[in-house]
Amino acid sequence: MYMSVADLVADSVAKSKPVYELMIEQEMATSNCTREEVWHTMSRNLDVMEAAVKKGATGDGVYSTTGLTGGEAVLLKKYRQKGKTLSGDTMMQAVQNAISTNEVNAAMGVVCATPTAGSTGTLPGVIFTLKDRLDLSRDQMIQFLFTAGAYGMVIANNASIAGATGGCQAEVGSASAMGAAAAVEIAGGTAEQSSEALAMAISNLLGLVCDPVAGLVELPCVKRNAIGVGNALIAADMALAGCTNKIPADEVIGAMDRVGKGLPKALRETGLGGLAATPTGIRMKMKIFGKTQTKA
Amino acid sequence: MTVNYKSVFDIIGPIMIGPSSSHTAGACAIGRAANSIFKDKPMDIVIHYYESFAQTHKGHGTDYAIISGILGFDPDDSRVPYAIGLARDQGINITFIEEPGDSPINHPNTAIIDLKNEHKQVSVSGCSIGGGTIEIREIHMDGFDIKPKGPLPILLVQGGEDDHQNVTKQLADLTKVNAHQRYQTTKGNMYEYDLDRRLKHDEIEKMAKDYSKLVYL
Repeated sequence: MYMSVADLVADSVAKSKPVYELMIEQEMATSNCTREEVWHTMSRNLDVMEAAVKKGATGDGVYSTTGLTGGEAVLLKKYRQKGKTLSGDTMMQAVQNAISTNEVNAAMGVVCATPTAGSTGTLPGVIFTLKDRLDLSRDQMIQFLFTAGAYGMVIANNASIAGATGGCQAEVGSASAMGAAAAVEIAGGTAEQSSEALAMAISNLLGLVCDPVAGLVELPCVKRNAIGVGNALIAADMALAGCTNKIPADEVIGAMDRVGKGLPKALRETGLGGLAATPTGIRMKMKIFGKTQTKA
Repeated sequence: MTVNYKSVFDIIGPIMIGPSSSHTAGACAIGRAANSIFKDKPMDIVIHYYESFAQTHKGHGTDYAIISGILGFDPDDSRVPYAIGLARDQGINITFIEEPGDSPINHPNTAIIDLKNEHKQVSVSGCSIGGGTIEIREIHMDGFDIKPKGPLPILLVQGGEDDHQNVTKQLADLTKVNAHQRYQTTKGNMYEYDLDRRLKHDEIEKMAKDYSKLVYL
């Protein structure tokens, strides 16, 4: 099992195989499943992602039961149609796809956690935008997910992907890094460039706290996926341009783990700090649950 | 080597009903583990939440998720959000307790599930470590106090030394056993195995034929 980005990159270079292929081979070996079974499972995950990307941006959109989030993927879609976005249509399409997915999640719809539900919009945000941008086939999209998963496993087994343990950097930060690394590979970059993209993506979001208002995966989680997807595309572009992070990917993952452990409990998914502790955040919580809960 | 995330589908997946993989899908998984251990319909369910779980269970749908798991639902089952009502309709008593102290198993996303009916009772301590993946760190069942390392899959078999030999032999054909432990009471032995990979459904079924009390988590 690949336990470091360095091993993954070295093996990819030595065997002249893309990372998705290494991931498929590892999965077949560890799960005792055939290539077809493994491929089929990933294909189903892609179906679920595609449905969520569409659902949140269709008609009036979706709304959570609390009313805190919803309908903004539709706003973005309409805004894009005017053709005057500041950051370009590719970027805003990515943001729309990410927000759409997380609005479906907040509305208790069906999503594929990548790697978590709170960060569920980031990876679909990248892949369904690159589909149009790079004219990707369905097979390539599935390959993208295996590559993203390979890098995600290294992050998860060396640091964390839980907001309660590592803050939002562990969720949206990890998702963004996975998306950046996989975007580089699918765009024709090298494994080293994927590793640089991953390192830059995490470095950019290092220290991001988990401070959900009323403990709900809504504010600020839904929009944090917008920065997750934007950061993924930016990091991938920087890596493809030849920029490097200088601090190697595995050391960056180690730094993320230590930063997460150093975060106070109030900023690790307790809903007691950050935006959750603002006057408005507390008012929202009181309105939804009718009482303040005990302190951590 | 015991790692928590053994499959690419732990990272790209699970397919689930929102809103949180750790507090909803993971809670469902802890409930399912308790269901696999209890192997019967409970009449009383008591859930103790600690730390992040205690603070945010209401917002994350942790309550219905954990009950849905105890009822045996998958995390993407459309009945998940209605699990509490469905359980109460069956006459099951449910209590949620927000514990003020630190987690006794040392993780911010901790739930301890007590299940009881007229025949038996068990207690299962689990934590949700992210992305829907869980650890089970304590199990009290049939007089045994079992303390696994945490990462799944875990296999529990009751029996004697010959059963242990037989299970070890069967497992050798399937996967590496990262660790095993024996627990003793006056009533007999419980063997616990930490497995290197998840077993397929038919592989477990085959082993369960020989051991009716086999528990696979």
